[in-house]
Amino acid sequence: MEDEEIEKKVLAYLKKKGFLQTELALQEELGRFSSSFHPDVPRPESGALRYHDGYSKLRSWAYSSLDLYKHELLRVLYPVFIHCFMDLVAAGYMQEARTFFHTFREDHDLMHLRDLQKLEGVLSPQHLEEMELARSLRQSKVNIKLCEYSYDLLLQYLQKTQALTMLGIVNEHINFQVSPGQPTSISEDADVVSLMGSSHEIAKQINQKEVHWGLLEDSLEERLEKAHSDSEKVEGENKEVDPDENKKRSTEGGKQGVPVKKLKKDKVVGTLGKNVRSETSTVSMAPRVKAELTLPVMPTEAEQSILEDLRNRVQLSSLALPSVSFYTFVNTHNGLNCSAISHDGSLVAGGFSDSSVKVWDVSKIGQAAKTFNTQGEDEASQNELLLGSDDGKRSYTLFQGHTGPVYSATFCPLGEFLLSSSSDSTIRLWSTKLNSNLVCYKGHNYPVWDVQFSPVGHYFASCSHDRTARVWSMDKIKPLRIMAGHLSDVDCIQWHPNCNYISTGSSDKTVRLWDVQSGECVRIFIGHRGMVLSLAMSPDGRYMASGDEDGTIMVWDLSTGRCVSPLMGHSSCVWTLAFSCEGTVLASGSADNTVKLWDVTASMKPLRIDDNKTGGTINRLRLLKVLPTKSTPVYTLQFSRRNLLFAAGALLKC
Amino acid sequence: MSIVPKETIEVIAQSIGISNLSSDVAQALSPDVEYRLREIMQEAIKCMRHSKRTVLTADDVDSALNLRNVEPVYGLASADPLRFKRAVGHKDLFYIDDKDVDFKEVIEAPLPKAPLDTTIVVHWLAIEGVQPAIPENAPVEALVPPSENKRSEHNKDDGLPVDIKLPVKHVLSRELQLYFEKITELTVTKYDSDLFKEALRSLAADSGLHPLVPYFSYFIADEVTRSLNNLPVLFALMRVVRSLLQNPHIHIEPYLHQLMPSMITCLVAKRLGNRLADNHWELRDFSANLAASVCRRFGHVYHNLQSRLTKTLLHAFLDPSKAMTQHYGAIQGLAALGPSVVRLLILPNLEPYLQLLEPEMLLEKQKNEMKRKEAWRVYGALLRAAGKCLYDRMKLFPGLLTPPTRPFSRSNGRIATSSLPNKRKLSGSQPIQQPPLKKLAVDGPSGPMPSVPITANTQVGAEGFPSISGDSGLGASSSSGQVSNESTSGGSQRDKGEDRATMMSSALTQAWKEDVDAGHLLASLFELFGEAIFSFTQPVEMSMFL
Repeated sequence: MEDEEIEKKVLAYLKKKGFLQTELALQEELGRFSSSFHPDVPRPESGALRYHDGYSKLRSWAYSSLDLYKHELLRVLYPVFIHCFMDLVAAGYMQEARTFFHTFREDHDLMHLRDLQKLEGVLSPQHLEEMELARSLRQSKVNIKLCEYSYDLLLQYLQKTQALTMLGIVNEHINFQVSPGQPTSISEDADVVSLMGSSHEIAKQINQKEVHWGLLEDSLEERLEKAHSDSEKVEGENKEVDPDENKKRSTEGGKQGVPVKKLKKDKVVGTLGKNVRSETSTVSMAPRVKAELTLPVMPTEAEQSILEDLRNRVQLSSLALPSVSFYTFVNTHNGLNCSAISHDGSLVAGGFSDSSVKVWDVSKIGQAAKTFNTQGEDEASQNELLLGSDDGKRSYTLFQGHTGPVYSATFCPLGEFLLSSSSDSTIRLWSTKLNSNLVCYKGHNYPVWDVQFSPVGHYFASCSHDRTARVWSMDKIKPLRIMAGHLSDVDCIQWHPNCNYISTGSSDKTVRLWDVQSGECVRIFIGHRGMVLSLAMSPDGRYMASGDEDGTIMVWDLSTGRCVSPLMGHSSCVWTLAFSCEGTVLASGSADNTVKLWDVTASMKPLRIDDNKTGGTINRLRLLKVLPTKSTPVYTLQFSRRNLLFAAGALLKC
Repeated sequence: MSIVPKETIEVIAQSIGISNLSSDVAQALSPDVEYRLREIMQEAIKCMRHSKRTVLTADDVDSALNLRNVEPVYGLASADPLRFKRAVGHKDLFYIDDKDVDFKEVIEAPLPKAPLDTTIVVHWLAIEGVQPAIPENAPVEALVPPSENKRSEHNKDDGLPVDIKLPVKHVLSRELQLYFEKITELTVTKYDSDLFKEALRSLAADSGLHPLVPYFSYFIADEVTRSLNNLPVLFALMRVVRSLLQNPHIHIEPYLHQLMPSMITCLVAKRLGNRLADNHWELRDFSANLAASVCRRFGHVYHNLQSRLTKTLLHAFLDPSKAMTQHYGAIQGLAALGPSVVRLLILPNLEPYLQLLEPEMLLEKQKNEMKRKEAWRVYGALLRAAGKCLYDRMKLFPGLLTPPTRPFSRSNGRIATSSLPNKRKLSGSQPIQQPPLKKLAVDGPSGPMPSVPITANTQVGAEGFPSISGDSGLGASSSSGQVSNESTSGGSQRDKGEDRATMMSSALTQAWKEDVDAGHLLASLFELFGEAIFSFTQPVEMSMFL
């Protein structure tokens, strides 16, 4: 009988922990049970009732406890509640479990709605085995911080009332971290409780590991900087130029794009670059690390064009917001699953539920030069072009090959390759030059939710419903690394700018950081209340932003593994996030039909000082601007190398 | 306990052919079914999220079933969300309304339009953080203040038309509000009181009412649509409109677009008022005059005002499927716009129209007395319109009696085109080879005459005078009619003129042409209406004619 097994376990546990008195009491009581009741008498019922009564008593006691300690004691209720429920299920009292669950679930709906929704369906012991959430709950212990007095209160209560069932559960599933002194403040409740379900211990342990978050050595940016410091020596006179003027000229430079007077412009840019570094020197401040992967060699022309872009970059800040060019997909018939924009914004890809991938060449649509050069272009010409786009034949290149809905697409940094991942569990590599499929990568066993090219190209990472993330290189059809560890689907993936790490967001509400070289998990970020849908890494490699299905965005410090600031503002799923090239502005796109721009620098600066003192207080990122679209959820955001923001989404037919 | 009752399991078992499912099995299955359902929904939600949607569709559930290696449920895919209906008498029972589709219909239905192909449209969502006010962007929230100078600077720089105006707060004084309430209340409830007359007078004269005009125009438009079957209210509303139009202190042009539809409604609506006794004809006449006066007054400001109005009316007039009442309104409206409109638009259509109208008016063909009366009304309106036109013509050209001094050949074409269709018919029916003699052309009219008695008279008249010589059959025959009727006095002079004309085959003078028109008109109208038309001609001429 399972009941007996539990009792045995409980007893064994008590013995192990040395709860002698409890053990005795339990045995005594058990003896009473077995002696006073005939085996045929419905013992199960009394067993089930025991949970019900025990919990309801504990609950009313906790609610009537002293105000000061109440919130701490209430925290204990949730683990006790779910374990009572699971105990009942495991013991086969389905009906009782159900009534128990419904009687008390209201208390916890606010904090744990999603977990409860999942648990609600668990109705047999078998389900407990199958469901990853239940299993992890059963296997791990919950850590609850209590102050000394609360802990005493709880123990006293449990012992006095002889609530042995409750005591058993508390002992079996809860780890108390008793701290002397005053009870903790209520505000910390949130993150303490949301740790439920994943092993906090492990997370803590993992987060001790060292993460080299710096940028790559000898990156183009660095080379550019060096070049500048050289030129600065030569053009020393430029230092006297008024900074305001610089700024003005810089925007002009950005707008005009390709310069007519090369000589003059170069000067301007030179001073501009210097100017910027003194303001927002996050990038240059970042430590340099060696690449652990062999990096592909970049063709010289490409390198030149990137350098050119970097020189022409518009500096963004809370005062200088980016321009946003929006690509609206029309007539998608609800079939657009994802979109991707190349780094220069000239190519736009859409992945559709009819298994097709379509690529538009924006410049061919007629947008004479739909790069940042056109920033100052007047609207009249644009509108003409819009109208002209839908005549004649197809305006796009159709890529067919997948056999299931396409869930993700990504362009390589130079735009000549496109990767798409599909529900047919494959990833396909397409050439935008040849307009054909090059490789089909098979490895995942289930739909591949997301695929991302590395910042240097050649390597890419994918994640899937099979709970793994994989790292690939373009020339091998088998994955190079498989990252396993998430407890549920891995929904999104992102490369660290130095290519040594990838981060993954999952339906288990955590974000993890993995070392590409070793394949180990090096960070677990806990705090989201829902499925994580989007990730972005700051260009200096220190911060990461993640957005979830509730509309919350969290910014994490990679080195500490802590949440720097939660950003509330979106009312629905955050589909996409993007940091501007120098990391000062974070853009988020959401299903609530808005693009929001957040000030990153403002929210980080005070924190750095705080870091040393108090260890991180929560301060909110400043919302700079809300840009509503016309009933178009924003699927993709992409900053060009010159800091023009591209956005894409499908127009909803209302 | 579980949300799937065991009865459901039993029903499903039966439906797939397992009749002897023991209740224990059902009992045990039901929680498992619930768990599986939840599991599938969880996966379906994941699929939904990855399809970047926030609404769950049947496709998502199918994908989730695929994920679990289960055969998807076929036949539920649909572009729109499924519409569940609540079963009558059961609170929690829903079903999908599945209509029987006739195969034949499906096969025979024309192919639907091919769906539009996906395309990309590019626009600026923001320029340096500022949203340009272009149609592709969501409308700027009304209450966003038109930011600092910086923004406008940007706009200038980029040459983009961002012009955000602060919403103007419209303040209405308490007195005006009271006034407005009082007037509207009077209009709707006490339209026959003396007070209402006072109100109308006040509306027509008060100088401080301008702020209320938008409210009034809205009120009128709103109330007209609402009380279409309340004739007195409609009448009262039209009176309000008239008063507003009369008020010299009100600048009403910007609100005309709101008032015109109401007037036209009162003019050509199929039904106005719900009682038989309602004298909606009067209302139609009233609104016709109102609309015409608006056209006269503001026609020069809105050059398309009249053309739009006439288009609407003509449309109503020429559509045989419209009710008689509507035709009446249209005719009245057109007539009110002046004789030239009548001449241009009604007269050319007169003859075919009357042919249609005729059976409606006859006792033996139209049994419904109501309808017959209506038809007679229309007939009367037509007569009046045509007669007025004629009268106008006659009055305009007293020079009718003076002899023509210039050749007229040029006018022939013009006459032919502007003449009534029945002329053409006449000419067609006549032998064209007629020499330039006195003609018997006017014999024709007896045929298409609606009400018979005066045929003889016509013929007398017609034969009594020389016709203009026909250079071309068409022109000749048409002009012959007119001449015969119109130029009673100057017979001999006319003869001279004619002779000259025939000899020279040259153009008519402008005046002559008009004369011809008028005379011609009378003849044709006479053909159509008979004697009745003579009441519109001047007595002198009449006498001469007769």
